[in-house]
Amino acid sequence: MELIKELLFNTDKKLAEFYLWAKNLWLSFGLHPVFLDIIIQLLVVIAVAAFLVFNALFIIYYDRKVAAKFQVRYGPNRVGYKGILQTVADTIKLLIKEDINPDKVDKVIFVLAPFLVFIPAFMVFLVIPFGKGLIPADLNIGILYVLAITGLSVIGILSAGWASNNKYSLIGGLRSAAQIVSYEIPMVLAILAILILAGSLKMGDIVNAQSSISKWFIFLQPVGFLIFLIAGNAEINRAPFDLPEAESELVSGFITEYSALKFAFFFLAEYTNLFLTSAIATTLFLGGWQGPFLPSFVWFIIKVYLVVTFLMWIRWTFPRIRVDQLMEFSWKYLIPIAFLNLIITAIVVKIV
Amino acid sequence: MIRYFLNIIKGIISLCEGLGVTLKHVFRKPITLQYPEQKPDLALRFRGRLVMPLDSEKNDNRCTACMMCAKVCPNASIMEIEKVVEDGKPKPKAKKYIYNLGTCIFCNLCVEVCPFAAIVMSDDFATADYNKDNLIIDLVAEKYQISGKKANWWKSKFKEEITKEQKVNG
Repeated sequence: MELIKELLFNTDKKLAEFYLWAKNLWLSFGLHPVFLDIIIQLLVVIAVAAFLVFNALFIIYYDRKVAAKFQVRYGPNRVGYKGILQTVADTIKLLIKEDINPDKVDKVIFVLAPFLVFIPAFMVFLVIPFGKGLIPADLNIGILYVLAITGLSVIGILSAGWASNNKYSLIGGLRSAAQIVSYEIPMVLAILAILILAGSLKMGDIVNAQSSISKWFIFLQPVGFLIFLIAGNAEINRAPFDLPEAESELVSGFITEYSALKFAFFFLAEYTNLFLTSAIATTLFLGGWQGPFLPSFVWFIIKVYLVVTFLMWIRWTFPRIRVDQLMEFSWKYLIPIAFLNLIITAIVVKIV
Repeated sequence: MIRYFLNIIKGIISLCEGLGVTLKHVFRKPITLQYPEQKPDLALRFRGRLVMPLDSEKNDNRCTACMMCAKVCPNASIMEIEKVVEDGKPKPKAKKYIYNLGTCIFCNLCVEVCPFAAIVMSDDFATADYNKDNLIIDLVAEKYQISGKKANWWKSKFKEEITKEQKVNG
């Protein structure tokens, strides 16, 4: 009981103790400590991957239930208790479907693209603090790493659109590229204001800077939070910014030619990205894993799911915007406001 | 410049209005009918498959094999009516009443024309089948038990007629 309590509330100390114990054991066998680090990092990667897959299974179910709530219906309720196993059944169905490769696709890129979309989303979880001490690696350049890696996913989407050899796919891919490039800027500007306040690029330091509710950056940077959410929502191609896969004009955008396992990977990447954006918003603006009474990672999950719910609320409220409106919104409204926000923050921080 | 900021403020207000509308929907009760478990509440005059219900008082159907329905049927869905033969004489009673559900257009003419309210359009709407032969039904042999509010409505139909006849006679 004591041990469990310690594990839940002082995870960082317990993990450090465990690492020391494992290292001593490892050294007593006369082995090089580098291999231990490699093994531990591999275990962490497997743990994060497993978490992501199960989380994606749940988040898809959650998305469908929330969508049903907004549309005054029940949502999935047949497979398992209240339909909780619906996504499991869907996944199994997708995995056993025939994997179709159309004749005139660019084979290598076509097969690689789904993984190119998923891998950046997965890599960013290296610096996401899930709880006290539960961060795979607290890099010095944490948030910079996030921005650099999330920008990579556009390569996957663009190559999926190109390799499919389909006009809808190509237009979807190109739209996605334009969208991600223009929404990266307000996002970075919103994050810059946070960095001025926190004084560090390290995720751990940013979380520690928000030690009490009054210090949460959402209260110091409400405009920045909104800009981040809008830009983040646009970056992960979710409604109302889902132009790359606009059903009514582009069939399914860059996913049109994909089926079975590859389609499942795109789906997994989409919902991982949703979780990722919410996790970064939580870390930067909502105090990360900090909170009273409950264990730190429980707080983290609660906050992330609040942001996810908010994004779903936005998704089921607003209609898709046009391409010209998309560009106008970013360049004429978000970027000036984000610049203004950044300048005001800098001046206020200098004066106070 | 002023218009620019006004645009932003107006935009934010209208977006919040939209969010409010969808938020109201979250707290409404779902209106979906969970079909196989919950049956829909159908109107009295709903036209499902044709049936010949058993009259609980007579413990038999009310058909007299007058052939009116077969004559009025626009595409001969009521295919064959055979009378009961006793001592070499045909009696006013159906022995066989073959109805083809496959060609029926649910026009209700046979029910309207029936002088004894022997047949009625039931609530049974799930009539799909894998085999066409199963759609040709002998309504007499089927001995359909009518139930629910449709039963009351059907009974009131011929009870009324009886009272009318009595009124005319009396």
